[in-house]
Amino acid sequence: MTEEIQTPATSHSEKSREMFAFACGVAGWLVPGLGHALQKMWGRAIVFFVTVGALVLIGAGMRGNVFNSDGGDAFAALGYLADLGSGSFYLLAKQDEPYGADVSRAGGDYGTRFLAAAGVLNLLSALHAYEAARGRKG
Amino acid sequence: MLLFALVISVAFGFLSRRRPLDRVKYMLWSLFLFLLVGIGIGWAMYPFSR
Repeated sequence: MTEEIQTPATSHSEKSREMFAFACGVAGWLVPGLGHALQKMWGRAIVFFVTVGALVLIGAGMRGNVFNSDGGDAFAALGYLADLGSGSFYLLAKQDEPYGADVSRAGGDYGTRFLAAAGVLNLLSALHAYEAARGRKG
Repeated sequence: MLLFALVISVAFGFLSRRRPLDRVKYMLWSLFLFLLVGIGIGWAMYPFSR
């Protein structure tokens, strides 16, 4: 039977690695791709920034619904959580829609899906950045 | 739908594969499945549309 002996040095490096991974996750959530950029994964960083940005811009351009915290029902609350996933791009979507959402047309409805997909995709990307920084993913 | 599928497929390819060739294969495969499922569901709903 083998026993793992944790010296203070390894424990410290584990702790700093965990902190860095957490910072990468949060940075990746706030600015899409930043979590990967901090780890010098440039290709992934650019792709996530561009794809999440494109989804947000297209969604807002189609006048999709950018949910607020005071939605009222469960769907609005879930939509708000999904939209929040895009981090700072949530604010960009708000800025990009000066006249508000228009879901009376099919375009607005599609736009809502684009915005939600951008948020969920960014959450996946941030989680990937966190896992990669911990050494679990390549 | 095509635009949505294209953007998500590219992101999925970069998210889940490391080698460039694997990424391209994964992107094409997921794009194909997105379109297949989207059009399939569309046709499946057609009899109930009126």
